[in-house]
Amino acid sequence: MNNITLGKYIPLNSFVHKLDPRTKIIAMMILLIAIFIPAGFVGYGIIGIFLLISLISSKLSFSFVWKSFKPSLFMLVFLLIINMFIIKTGDVWLTIGSFNLYSGAVIQTVYIVLRLLLMIVITTMLTATTKPLDLTMGLEDLLSPLAKLNVPTHDIAMMISLALRFIPTLLEEAQRILKAQASRGVDMESGSFKEKIQAILSLIVPLFVSSFQKADDLADAMEARGYVVGAKRVRYKKLKFTFFDFITLVSVSGLLVGLILLKVL
Amino acid sequence: MSIHFEKVDYIYSPNSVFEFQALEDVSLDINMGKITAIIGATGSGKTTLVQHLNGLLLPSKGFLTVNDFTIKADEKPKNIKELRKQVGLVFQFAEYQLFEETLIKDVSFGPKNFGVKEKEAEMIAARALVTVGIDPKDFVKSPLELSGGQKRRVAIAGILAMSPSILVLDEPTAGLDPQGAKSMMELFKMLNKEKGITILIVTHNMEHVLEYCDEVVVLEKGQVIMHTDKKQFFKNDKYMEKASIDPPIIIAFKKKCEEYGVTFDSDILTIDNLVSEIVKKRGKR
Repeated sequence: MNNITLGKYIPLNSFVHKLDPRTKIIAMMILLIAIFIPAGFVGYGIIGIFLLISLISSKLSFSFVWKSFKPSLFMLVFLLIINMFIIKTGDVWLTIGSFNLYSGAVIQTVYIVLRLLLMIVITTMLTATTKPLDLTMGLEDLLSPLAKLNVPTHDIAMMISLALRFIPTLLEEAQRILKAQASRGVDMESGSFKEKIQAILSLIVPLFVSSFQKADDLADAMEARGYVVGAKRVRYKKLKFTFFDFITLVSVSGLLVGLILLKVL
Repeated sequence: MSIHFEKVDYIYSPNSVFEFQALEDVSLDINMGKITAIIGATGSGKTTLVQHLNGLLLPSKGFLTVNDFTIKADEKPKNIKELRKQVGLVFQFAEYQLFEETLIKDVSFGPKNFGVKEKEAEMIAARALVTVGIDPKDFVKSPLELSGGQKRRVAIAGILAMSPSILVLDEPTAGLDPQGAKSMMELFKMLNKEKGITILIVTHNMEHVLEYCDEVVVLEKGQVIMHTDKKQFFKNDKYMEKASIDPPIIIAFKKKCEEYGVTFDSDILTIDNLVSEIVKKRGKR
């Protein structure tokens, strides 16, 4: 459980950490678009090198990113198997009995793996190098044009940041309850199907109860500190767009344009 | 029957930025049949220490033996269920682990996990609930209908129903009113005296240590810096000052008297003894 890296902020002092959260959000979106430009292996290679450089400059460890990627491995194997049976384009690479393995199937799967890997690296980099609060501020700023259309941008941003804020808390709580129930003889790994259902119930029910309690407490604490839904708020911390942000955005946009050109030409 | 720690280290999230050494070179022998208090500042490793006792945490280095079980690094002890049956561990704010629709069902959950049949488990549960002072009328109530203190009692009953020979309590009285806390401690004393259960209590309450415990283990920054019997511990008030432990009121009173030149025997640890000593001293004058 401790190894879950989803949305975890890693406090380090790096170039990427210091970037404006708005820059990082926009850069993430541009990169995500870039991944879906079908520029073939050359394109993915270029994005990969770019991400490798950013990953090194963010000082995050590779094992951290790998841990984020691990949970999706199962899904990828599943995809590979489905693809092998469904896709029948390209050359036949392998024949076992009446089953033919086409090159298209393998290439398609490799594409999906690459895309997913790149996407995970990008999103992990965003959440690992940006404090949840900064992330919210950035989101709110970026959404602010929508406020003119009466979209409750602040509320949306607040909801997102609270959700992010509570991921580690809920994990911790789940771990605590798991341990408490393990002390009462719950065995999550072995046992019959019925026992397993019971074991899961013994985790879910207390987790639900305490989440609702926490939500109530949080609402009270926010109100006690003068939070009013929909009220206009001012900020203590201002976001600053620096020269480095400019460089980052230019290079990311350059990457996107380059990939489009590569595809068109 | 024994509890023995041998050079136990525990490190949280090793090889990451969150790496934290919670226990360092802990060697410790707990005397069976006694009530041992485990004290120390927040973050000194108390909870980490007790979670080793039933194999929830495995040492990063070193090992410990509990009864016939050996718990060492990187290897889950065989038959860990049996270990958890023998070592009942009550968590901090244990009331959050309740999940069944009725008290009796929740308390019988433990025994059922250890293979006791439903009917028998409910009988054991009923007995455990009576032991902790729950009214049989309330057995079919939902845990959510109870007060915080009662919920805590039910959670403790859930552990007692497994009839452990070692009971480990992590801050069992945190957040309870003084009356509730007192009767909780009385319950533990009773369990220790009548059933001979070895009890380890993690606590911040020095009054409880003075009144109910036999031995004291002091942790500081993950290391055991003292393990001694209660009398010795409270004699050493210089140490208490250093570790910024607030002495129990009776110790503070004796100390103040000493400042004015009235000294008492250091063995006097109860109000009754103290009062009779004062009366005796007055008589002499």
